[in-house]
Amino acid sequence: MSTDLESLQTQALAEIESASDPRAIEQLRVDLLGKKGRVTELLKQLGGMAPDARKAFGERVNLAKEALSAALSSRARTLEDAALDARIAAETVDVTLAGRGERCGALHPVTRTIRRIEAIFASMGFETVEGPEIEDDWHNFQALNIPESHPARAMQDTFYALDGSRLLRTHTSPVQIRTMEKYRDSGRQPPIRIICPGRVYRVDFDRTHSPMFHQVEGLYIAENVGLADLKHDLQRFLTLFFEREAEALFRPSYFPFVEPGADVHMKWSAPGQPERWLELLGCGIVHPNVLEAVDIDPERYSGYAFGMGVERLAMLRYGVDDLRLFFNNDLRFLEQFA
Amino acid sequence: MKLSERWLREWVNPPVDATSWAAKLNMAGLECEAEPLHEKLPRGVVVARILSAQPHPQADRLRVCEVDAGTGTPLQIVCGAANARAGILVPAALPGAELPGGLRIEQAKLRGVDSSGMLCSASELALADKSEGLLELDASAVPGTPIETHLALADQLLNLELTPNRGDCLSIAGVARETAALYGLQACSPAIEPATVSSEACVALSIEDDKGCPHYVGRVIADIQPDARTPDWMRERLRRSGIRAIHPVVDITNYVMIELGQPMHGFDLARLNGGIRVRRARAGETLKLLNEETVTLSPDDLLIADASGPLVLAGIMGGEGSGVTAATTSIFLESACFDAVSIAHSGRRHKLLSDSRYRNERGVDPALQRRALERATALVLQICGGQPGPVVEAGAAVERGPAIRLRSAQVARLLGHTLDNADIETLLGRLDIALQREADGVWTAHAPSWRPDLRIEADLVEEIGRLYGYERIPPRRYAAALPGFAVTESTLPTAPLAQRLLGRGYQEIITYSFVDPALQAKLDPEARTIRLDNPIAETMAVMRSSLWPGLVATWIHNRQRQQPRARLFETGAVYALNTDGTVHETQRLGGLLAGSAFPEQWGARPVRNFDFFDARGDLEAIDASWHCIAAPHPALHPGQSARLYRGTVPIGWLGALHPRLAASMDLVESVLLFEIDMAALRDRAAPRGEAVPEVPSSRRDLAIVVSEQVPAQALLDVVRACGGPYLASAVIFDVYRGSGVPAGHKSVALGLIFQHASRTLNVAEVDQAVTEIAAGVNTQLGGSLRG
Repeated sequence: MSTDLESLQTQALAEIESASDPRAIEQLRVDLLGKKGRVTELLKQLGGMAPDARKAFGERVNLAKEALSAALSSRARTLEDAALDARIAAETVDVTLAGRGERCGALHPVTRTIRRIEAIFASMGFETVEGPEIEDDWHNFQALNIPESHPARAMQDTFYALDGSRLLRTHTSPVQIRTMEKYRDSGRQPPIRIICPGRVYRVDFDRTHSPMFHQVEGLYIAENVGLADLKHDLQRFLTLFFEREAEALFRPSYFPFVEPGADVHMKWSAPGQPERWLELLGCGIVHPNVLEAVDIDPERYSGYAFGMGVERLAMLRYGVDDLRLFFNNDLRFLEQFA
Repeated sequence: MKLSERWLREWVNPPVDATSWAAKLNMAGLECEAEPLHEKLPRGVVVARILSAQPHPQADRLRVCEVDAGTGTPLQIVCGAANARAGILVPAALPGAELPGGLRIEQAKLRGVDSSGMLCSASELALADKSEGLLELDASAVPGTPIETHLALADQLLNLELTPNRGDCLSIAGVARETAALYGLQACSPAIEPATVSSEACVALSIEDDKGCPHYVGRVIADIQPDARTPDWMRERLRRSGIRAIHPVVDITNYVMIELGQPMHGFDLARLNGGIRVRRARAGETLKLLNEETVTLSPDDLLIADASGPLVLAGIMGGEGSGVTAATTSIFLESACFDAVSIAHSGRRHKLLSDSRYRNERGVDPALQRRALERATALVLQICGGQPGPVVEAGAAVERGPAIRLRSAQVARLLGHTLDNADIETLLGRLDIALQREADGVWTAHAPSWRPDLRIEADLVEEIGRLYGYERIPPRRYAAALPGFAVTESTLPTAPLAQRLLGRGYQEIITYSFVDPALQAKLDPEARTIRLDNPIAETMAVMRSSLWPGLVATWIHNRQRQQPRARLFETGAVYALNTDGTVHETQRLGGLLAGSAFPEQWGARPVRNFDFFDARGDLEAIDASWHCIAAPHPALHPGQSARLYRGTVPIGWLGALHPRLAASMDLVESVLLFEIDMAALRDRAAPRGEAVPEVPSSRRDLAIVVSEQVPAQALLDVVRACGGPYLASAVIFDVYRGSGVPAGHKSVALGLIFQHASRTLNVAEVDQAVTEIAAGVNTQLGGSLRG
């Protein structure tokens, strides 16, 4: 009797040890410990035993069951571990292969520059406003103190449409007028602090001129705004934009819609070239005729205005030396700004 | 405009070199650069008189000249110039000389004859780009004088690029005046005295338009010498301002224009018929101008005319029939002030450029006419001789500008910097602005006649700031509180929308707003486009009515440069005409996808081209609050074309480029296009964060067989309408056609999720909802559940 049990246990342990996959373990568990398993079968012999022998044999069978059950679990764990190790070994990838999917695109450098300009002026309290590109003579010229036959009109060669009744704005300055008109029509009073980015157009097409380009206009109207404020704000803008202390030079100049007027130059050194003064933008104190054109009392309010070419700033900032690159839209050029 | 530094220094002599002088003018608002007149001066070239000129024994074209070059003994020089003749004075480069071009002159033999140097033309001395024959010099030139001394060639030029308001500085006198003001000096001028009248010859004068011509003076000078020659000093000064010597009278009027700023005109008296009239042209009158062009005039044009008709387009250009010639013996000199606006008008309409127009349209000093006339008279008498007649005059000079009230408070306000009253007076005094003190810090000012640009107080403030120096005004940090401006969420600015496209691999482009009408007609044939009156080229002639022409042209451009694929977008205005003729400008977002759907890469993805649903997916990523309805668009594939709606409002288009159009543009790969109104995209509500249920949801998958005619959207609409209150979402996860599905039908696999807010739904509730859905699909769409 006991010899049967011992030899069964020995044999069963050997079978468990040689089981090679979880399925075989499960089969063995049923085979040995299931309702009709070989160990369970042994218990059927209990019926013909004396009470003492029955107790002793029962205990030995239970011990054997526990031992086999533990051996089955242990073997199962070993097999699982080995299987996982094998899977891990098989799953090794070449991490130097490229990632999959789509790269991010880029904003056009001109848009990128406008965004920066907007963000800098927003931090200084300027709101961004926009206006139409197909303008009338009043907003583009007359209200800006550029009457018919003013020689300044020859400074800006204009595209006309609809038999001359409309024109493509030659600068973003008409948005000044439209904004001040809006204030007037809604009964609002200054202060006004805006910038106006956008497309502008001039009949000029060569290596250094594009018939369409971008400007950002600025306007600040309040009580007692003067040249000293303009100097401060533009100097600060240039310092923030170029991320270095900007040395700006304000030189008297002439634009019909400002008086006094100035253009702003900045000390610039390109690699391999001597340092020089670069003209960056035009500005000045808003001409009283402009304020009167939109019913703002020049005795009460004064203000400054400025206009800057976005492409010029973008070229300096990003080291672009040919204006035409901006409008060819060659992906190989544009992707550099991603 | 270029001016000789030496000439300027005769008027005012600041204690600085030309470069610093130019910098000072620059900082005062007169854009100016100093440049050398000549990079290199000739060396060893002297004035020489040709004593005799004999034919060369061996060469027909050459002459053997004997010249006096001031060396004591005559030299023999062989010369090929046609004008080489005894008696004239010319430049001679002696052996050892070096010409500006680098040529060295040595003792030589030409065809067997000794030549001790070379006689020079103007171009050989770099005095002209091209020239014919020897440069003939003044008869009074002294042989042996170095040519650079005789012609005063050691000089610099001040090159001024003036803004249109500073016409007063378009002369030696003007720049001298400005310089004197900047350095606190006094400018001097040559003495100009009225000529002693020695002839009674006179031309009657009448101004019929005194607004167009407020002041006109003139005089006859009779009996001038027709063979007079403009002296070298005057030729040189004109040359330095870019003016060629033509005829002594013309040269003198040009000289006075450069010197004083007054454009003048010299008539041949013999070619005038009766008196001079300043009048408006009659419609249809014509005038042949000095540049040989014939212009047809209109009543807007101001004329100088005589009894026979138009003589001169006033202030712009003389006529061919009345100017001086080599045969002229008596002249009538004109010195007039014209209305700047009228000149600008005529000049622009006739597209005529001249030094005269340039000055007149910027405004000529209305008090200068008589002074200029006397200056020109003196020069004519000096150079050509003659008998001056009395000055005839019409209209009147204006000596001072209008009264301008000036307040020191306004100076401080507009400059943002306070100046002493005494400083204000001193600075304006330097500009000859007359000030009359009305009260403390209040003046009445009158600008001098030559500053018509000074009209209002702000103009004077600029003059004060300019002379004081903008660089001396300290920057002021603005301290006043400003109201913040709205940062809205319900209207999104462009930036975050663009950002979403960038994240999906789109590249932003910026294309011209004017496009090729042919391309636009293909892509947007129904638009009422706006054509430019004066386009740069026919391919840039119409304003874009759609962003597609720019996107497609950009794709073609890149494709021709071996780019295999692109995702592009542009934001910006498109333009169209309304039916009432007004202009309609709309901000749009447009996109293009072309080529392979994925960048070239390793891995499992199937290689395929972009299709409709890639484009649609990108659009859904930026905004999901719209829906598509199949609709035809002339530029799009008839089976892959959708109009986008938000509610019932159409907001854009999405589809594949029409294969016929694609073929016409040699595009073989798929091209997807979309365009959507920015306003529709920007307008959205701020999000609401509602609580989400904690209890589990139930999912059922259904396969529904419907006709091919039933759009997915219609099926989803019915499912949602019939799904009861707990249907939380319905998504199509497969569309199957083929075995088991009748022809003309498709099997659409739906994933349905049912969810109650606070409890788990029981099976009966979900079954009930599915039954309702099946019934609804059946009755409304003829669909059935697939077994």
